[in-house]
Amino acid sequence: MKDVFLDTILPGDEGLGLPSASAIAVVLVEWDQYAPVLDQLAIEAGGESFLALDAPSRLALVEKSRRKQARLANGVIVAALKAYYTHPQVLHALGAGAVPPFPDGNFLEDDDWSILEPVFERGPIWREVPA
Amino acid sequence: MERADVVVVGSGASGAAAAWALSRRPGLRVICLEQGERTDPAHYPATQIGWELRRQGDASFDPNIRQALGDYPIDNSDTPISLANFNGLGGGTILYSAHFPRFHPSDFRTRSLDGVGDDWPLTYHQLEPYFTQNEQMMGVAGLVGDPAYPEYQSLLPPVPLGPMGRKLAEGFNALGWHWWPSYAAINTRHHDGRAACANLGPCNTGCAQGAKGSVDVTYWPHALNQGVELRTGCSVQKLLMGDDGRVGGVRYVDADGGDHELAADFVVLAAGGAGTPRLLLNSASDRFPNGLANQSGLVGRNLMVHPLAYVEAVFDQDLRSSIGPHGCCLLSQNFYESDAARGFARGYTLHILRGAPPLETALGGFMTRRIPLGPGHHRAMAATFNRTAGIAVISEDLPDPANRIELDPDHRDRFGMPGVKVRYALGDNTKAMLAHGTEQARTVLEAAGGKVTLAFSPVRHSGWHVMGTTRMGDDPATSVVDRFGRAHGIDNLYVVDSSLFVTAGAVNPVATAQALTLYCCDHLAKRLGPSP
Ligand SMILES: Cc1cc2nc3c(=O)[nH]c(=O)nc-3n(C[C@H](O)[C@H](O)[C@H](O)COP(=O)(O)OP(=O)(O)OC[C@H]3O[C@@H](n4cnc5c(N)ncnc54)[C@H](O)[C@@H]3O)c2cc1C
Ligand code: SF4
Repeated sequence: MKDVFLDTILPGDEGLGLPSASAIAVVLVEWDQYAPVLDQLAIEAGGESFLALDAPSRLALVEKSRRKQARLANGVIVAALKAYYTHPQVLHALGAGAVPPFPDGNFLEDDDWSILEPVFERGPIWREVPA
Repeated sequence: MERADVVVVGSGASGAAAAWALSRRPGLRVICLEQGERTDPAHYPATQIGWELRRQGDASFDPNIRQALGDYPIDNSDTPISLANFNGLGGGTILYSAHFPRFHPSDFRTRSLDGVGDDWPLTYHQLEPYFTQNEQMMGVAGLVGDPAYPEYQSLLPPVPLGPMGRKLAEGFNALGWHWWPSYAAINTRHHDGRAACANLGPCNTGCAQGAKGSVDVTYWPHALNQGVELRTGCSVQKLLMGDDGRVGGVRYVDADGGDHELAADFVVLAAGGAGTPRLLLNSASDRFPNGLANQSGLVGRNLMVHPLAYVEAVFDQDLRSSIGPHGCCLLSQNFYESDAARGFARGYTLHILRGAPPLETALGGFMTRRIPLGPGHHRAMAATFNRTAGIAVISEDLPDPANRIELDPDHRDRFGMPGVKVRYALGDNTKAMLAHGTEQARTVLEAAGGKVTLAFSPVRHSGWHVMGTTRMGDDPATSVVDRFGRAHGIDNLYVVDSSLFVTAGAVNPVATAQALTLYCCDHLAKRLGPSP
């Protein structure tokens, strides 16, 4: 059920080269408390269980859980986002680099400071202070 | 009892500059006591793929989250803006953005010019040589010739604007507004034995490259070479008053809990805008029931924190906006000086911030519901990441004695010393300024082609600049220390950090705070012996 939940909130996107969250080892500390909440909400909505719903209904249910059990639901989702957006495969696909920032760093090209001409031409704007 | 000529309390922006300046005198024993630990750049978050996660842990700027050995509790329940800091060797400079503009000449004369705040007992021009000296020590990049300032002498080449910065610059130019590349304490080329910036981005978690001018890599190596004895993990609990009306030394606890007394001819406080008043208040005794140097009752009062507004826009193009030093790109001081037509006194800086890194983008988008979960998630994320620009409106905060720091006996540090309680409310002038700044930030982001997606003020977790809590002045009734940072009535006790500020200006404080430290220490040094 955890994988279905993860694929509901963070499905893969082949076009962008992004894996689904279930393809990444994600630890959700509060999952054992959250899973029954999802099933309970599914039953209250007339369904059998979270797993028995189609994808759009599952997503709607997750959103509903954020309203009903905000701290728990948001905590679980944030944990999933944290794991997903610090995974090398995801960072690579985003163009953020699959290695730590240090030591490679990033290149930014030199600037052409003629772009400051209009600012310079206006002349001083600081306020003279009488001695 | 062990004895020093000078004890410096705190090793941050100002403590480091003080230790360096005072140890230039030959033959003096200078000891610096720092309650936090030394950090190791080899283990900074930027050395790990999951670096963003540590911003919510040991690299957080919130001491209540970080809970490191040197941290003390800060109760922010009575303020819309919570205080931030870093307690360790280098103080706040370990995490700061290194945005390094100076105060303006008018900042020192707000009462005479605009009828608000108070005039400082010194001028911009008196501080000028110290600004320059400090910028050389810290390694400051920028461009000379800024029409918003009196002339700077020289700076390292400016930090690159990147595609996002250029876009914003075009927006400012289209409106005919002032902008200028950031003044940044960042090595843009090899300087003082340190490497050039590699545009890692996460300056706010510590610079593993050593390019950012945090004082552990600028002032401290020189101060240690000059013989300063630095003791980390040593928390000063009280200043000890002698019967002669002079401070005799300090009592401190070391990392293992051992109690020590250290006698000193001079005590120099650089424990930060919250730490300095905390120590003075905690040094209360039967003779000084309100704390030391507190005849005016102003220790801890006139707290100023630069309330921020934040406006963010998203652009159609990939602007690689998350690349480069996050807090240093460009700034605008178009609205810095007073204009009565705006309906408030004084002004603000528009401080352009680079885009958020991936996790912060995703979490921010999730919390504000701008990036949905489910099938639309990745497209929305792709349309946001590296395409955003932020503007922080840094407003001038006027001094108000009701805004203050108090001791908080209900929350204590690991040695039992009370933490601090912050009592702070936004003034009407500040509210009007933030509203104005928010509108102008919107205007320029739109002029640059962006779509504004977020605008709010005040930003809660933005109390990075803590100022005014032991203000300087000539009148002992309205100030805590004199024009040289010397406590009124206690001839050998000095304060040299941003607690001294009479007004807050509308720029990040460290360039001015450290210039002030050097200025005060020059005065103290003359009392200590012959010039080197
Ligand atoms: C995330 C962040 C970003 C920032 N960005 C910028 C920026 O871009 N530009 C800018 O100008 N400013 C910035 N600042 C603010 C800047 O870092 C601070 O203004 C500056 O560090 C204050 O210097 P200080 O010497 O007064 O205090 P600190 O640097 O805070 O140093 C005080 C030191 O004293 C120690 N201390 C306190 N009490 C005791 C005691 N009782 N015994 C022993 N030691 C003690 C503390 O542990 C600490 O290390 C930023 C701050 C943060 C947190
Ligand atoms: S961007 Fe530059 S200054 Fe900032 S952390 Fe990276 S190397 Fe250091």
